[in-house]
Amino acid sequence: MKTRGVSIAACLTITTALLASCGSGDAGDDGPVTLKFQALSDQPAAIAATESIVEDWNTENPDIQVEIVPAGWDGVYDKLITQFNGGAAPDIIHFEAASIVSFARDGYLADLTDLMSDERRADIPEGILDSVTVDDQVIAYPTELQSYVAFANRTLLEDAGVEIPTGDTMTWDELREIAKATTKGDVYGLGWGLSSPTATFMSLAPGFGGTYLEGTGEDATLTIGEGEMALPELVHDMAYEDESILPVTMTQSGSEAIASFYAGQTAMTVQGSYQAANIAKDAPKDLDWVALPPLAGPEGPQQAANPQTLSVNIDSEHVEESAEFIEFFTQTENLAALNEADALIPATTSAQESLTEKLGDENGWSTILAGGQNFVSAPYLFADSYAQWKDTVATPAYQRYLAQETDETELADQLTSGWTEITQ
Amino acid sequence: MRVFAQQLVRPAQYVALAGYIVFLGFPLLWLISASVKSSAELNSLVVSLLPQEWHWANYADALARQGLVSSAGNSAIVALASTALVILIALPASYVLARLKGAIRAAGVGWILVSQVFPVILVVLPLFLILRTIGLTDSLVGLILVHTTYTMPFALWMLQGYVAAIPVDLEEAGAVDGGNRLVVLRRIVFPLLAPGVVATAMFSFVSSWNEFFFALVLLQSPENYTLPITLSTFIGGEGKVALGPLAAGSVLAAIPSIVFFSIMQKKLTGGLMAGAVKG
Repeated sequence: MKTRGVSIAACLTITTALLASCGSGDAGDDGPVTLKFQALSDQPAAIAATESIVEDWNTENPDIQVEIVPAGWDGVYDKLITQFNGGAAPDIIHFEAASIVSFARDGYLADLTDLMSDERRADIPEGILDSVTVDDQVIAYPTELQSYVAFANRTLLEDAGVEIPTGDTMTWDELREIAKATTKGDVYGLGWGLSSPTATFMSLAPGFGGTYLEGTGEDATLTIGEGEMALPELVHDMAYEDESILPVTMTQSGSEAIASFYAGQTAMTVQGSYQAANIAKDAPKDLDWVALPPLAGPEGPQQAANPQTLSVNIDSEHVEESAEFIEFFTQTENLAALNEADALIPATTSAQESLTEKLGDENGWSTILAGGQNFVSAPYLFADSYAQWKDTVATPAYQRYLAQETDETELADQLTSGWTEITQ
Repeated sequence: MRVFAQQLVRPAQYVALAGYIVFLGFPLLWLISASVKSSAELNSLVVSLLPQEWHWANYADALARQGLVSSAGNSAIVALASTALVILIALPASYVLARLKGAIRAAGVGWILVSQVFPVILVVLPLFLILRTIGLTDSLVGLILVHTTYTMPFALWMLQGYVAAIPVDLEEAGAVDGGNRLVVLRRIVFPLLAPGVVATAMFSFVSSWNEFFFALVLLQSPENYTLPITLSTFIGGEGKVALGPLAAGSVLAAIPSIVFFSIMQKKLTGGLMAGAVKG
């Protein structure tokens, strides 16, 4: 009797599943063109901003309707590579520049060079446009970026007799001096989440003249010289000579390290610029904080650009329509609204100016947005073996160095020999 | 002295059991705790199981997330259907594997072991292409078939162990009493296998309920998303995680699984006892 019951239950379940799947099929292909837009927006405000932009487009363009397909960032590379190979990728793809270069090289993305308007091209800073240009083809529209910013506890700085830096930039040496001055008792000058330091060091290296990689694809070569070693050595010296970095934060992620800043254990913290919004929301009400000017090395305040992007599936039947939609999506007011919701830096100059005008110095916005013109091309985006080198060689090597298990010479040797092993 | 020692044994056992339960249950308790904390508290250095301030808004945020409830329904459909299919197929197949000798059994066991070796990433593309050919990508039916296939080898391995533990003498006694093979299976073997079936069903259900990668790759439409896919949308780019709503969503996601386990666990115990009496 029990066996019969189980069998019936099983049959009912399967039938339910079949009926459910029947109900979720496509509704017919007649009517207006429908573009599938795989969007990775995760913050409720950013989702609302994206939906609003799409709704405006759909209202203005009854013949070209856009349908949002929400997806998470987790595993999306594997999802896309399977979709491309299976011929089932969406028309419009939201992803970061670092991950779509390989898609472009493998011929999955449409060339948007002739579809991008002159107005848009002129509005995108050169370094950011370079980050989405592969073999002289524009493969995506950049939309949002983050930069690394130092946030400071104004009270702790003033108590230490430090004048809060102002001006267009501040130097790394100034940061080091302030960290030393504010390290007293239980308070450390700086908290910096460096559990995965490779991307951070590589993004900030242009300020020291570091490029790490030259060339593209399989021909890319790695150089570890003074420019590349400057920042790791500075961090190392601050941690072990000055003892001005809270040691535990170097084993944490950026988000974890910020808790020490909230608790007043660190006078400053280096974070992704988007954390300004979180600090405004989560920091104790009595924490008087400020975003410090963009950090500049000997070569300037440059940081490598790895923007979020919108690209078009080369197999889409509607490449031109997709590009038209992205042109609309990246209009000044749309990019400003999206980046305000995501607390990121717009990829176009006009949207940066629009946000600066709208938000002023609220939550450090003007300081953060000022860094929007400092982005330069990131050579690592275009090297085939970068991802493997980063995960298997660079990150463990930097971790050993920051834990004092190796010295500068050994670090440089491990980075270069690891690259050679991977690329041979 | 000996009596005193004996009197201490039982309390010590309970203390050990309580410690074990706390060890196992602590992650769930921490998840529940995180689900009712504000993001300010989650990002502070104060570590406490009890929140300083109960922040129920995380649950509202989680439920407001597009498709959380419907994706829970999809997960339930896929998990229940694939569990039913696994049991229906694995039950007779495991009997064959356990009882038959020779090349077929060896080939079957070999297939089970080999099938466990392939990494998911290796099979997902061919699987995607096959399902696309038969029109079952972006379909719960396709996902049910994949989960069934994916879980089947281990389920077979589990069940054939249970079958092998049943003495052949019992079946022979049934045959001597005039029962044919089907009667012996229905009246003797399957009832004794109940605990194994329940354990296998629980394994299959949880495997399917928690499965992420196949669902991520195969499902394209938000209305078909299963719970792990919807929950993954709480994790953003640039290292951003909506920890409170994610924890709240995870707590809600765990409820059906806990209910299923509670029901099945009773059957598991009942089956074990029934077997003991008959043995």
